[in-house]
Amino acid sequence: MPLDTWQEQLRRGSLDLAILLTVASGPRYGLAIIQHLEAFTDLVVTEGTIYPILGRLTREGLLASQWVEGEAPHPRKYYTLTRAGTKRLSDMKVQWRAFAEKIDRLIAAAERG
Amino acid sequence: MKLTDVGESRVNGYLFVLERSLKTFLPGDVVRDAVREIESHVRERVAAADGAPNERAALEKILDELGPPLRVAQAYSAERTIDEAVATGRFVPIVRAVGHLAQTTMVGFFTALGLLVGYATSFAFFAFAVLKPIFPDNVGIQYVHGFPVGLGAHFPLSPGTDLRGGYWIIPVALFCGLGIFIATNRGARKYLAWWRERRLS
Repeated sequence: MPLDTWQEQLRRGSLDLAILLTVASGPRYGLAIIQHLEAFTDLVVTEGTIYPILGRLTREGLLASQWVEGEAPHPRKYYTLTRAGTKRLSDMKVQWRAFAEKIDRLIAAAERG
Repeated sequence: MKLTDVGESRVNGYLFVLERSLKTFLPGDVVRDAVREIESHVRERVAAADGAPNERAALEKILDELGPPLRVAQAYSAERTIDEAVATGRFVPIVRAVGHLAQTTMVGFFTALGLLVGYATSFAFFAFAVLKPIFPDNVGIQYVHGFPVGLGAHFPLSPGTDLRGGYWIIPVALFCGLGIFIATNRGARKYLAWWRERRLS
């Protein structure tokens, strides 16, 4: 498998977690989520593809959304973490850390020879 | 940056193409919400842009970063239509998802063709069961010279043709129709699950 394909898999696999982490600190609208992700990661390749993921996470009950008017010249759709989203995020963080730790151990073992 | 009429036309054109693409596989209220959100994104980016080196270049950069409308629509399709079809296994979402894949991929087109045959066969059996009590003398198993040659409704019967089969063929037709429908629906759901896995890999 080419490296870029593997990177793409890794990116897609971690986007849900990254979005939930971004919203965990408080309500954010789409562009603010994208800007936060862009500031900390290189997970956003095409900005427009983030919105369908936000929609799916909302349908799955992990995020709640609400249109807010009057705050800016145009309406903004804010996303917040639901109780189910908070629980899922907590589980995902545990899984991610355990996974990363195992891979780190493997890398260390391989480098030791 | 404040958009001129030309800039407004470019934004509206982008949103129009996006809306048209989304409408092919998403319900109207979902399309309106999605387009409104994308428009909000564009307006926000435009408001924050300084318009350098000129409006056209600045706007193209914003739309490039957002992605072509067809790609954005495809992302919605991948996230919504197929997920819904695989998750629920319901007939309408499955047909919608298969229909969308048929329009976008060659494999999808031929798979949709096969599934269409399955669904059409099952509906033919259902129609057979419904029509039998209404036209008892025209619906049944068609025999020519003592050999069965067909099954269905015949208006009028050809000369030399003998139609057999009593009302017992109704439950048989319902059973066959239901069996073929369930098998086709399961096949379609498995295909969509496979396609979704392939997309993620």
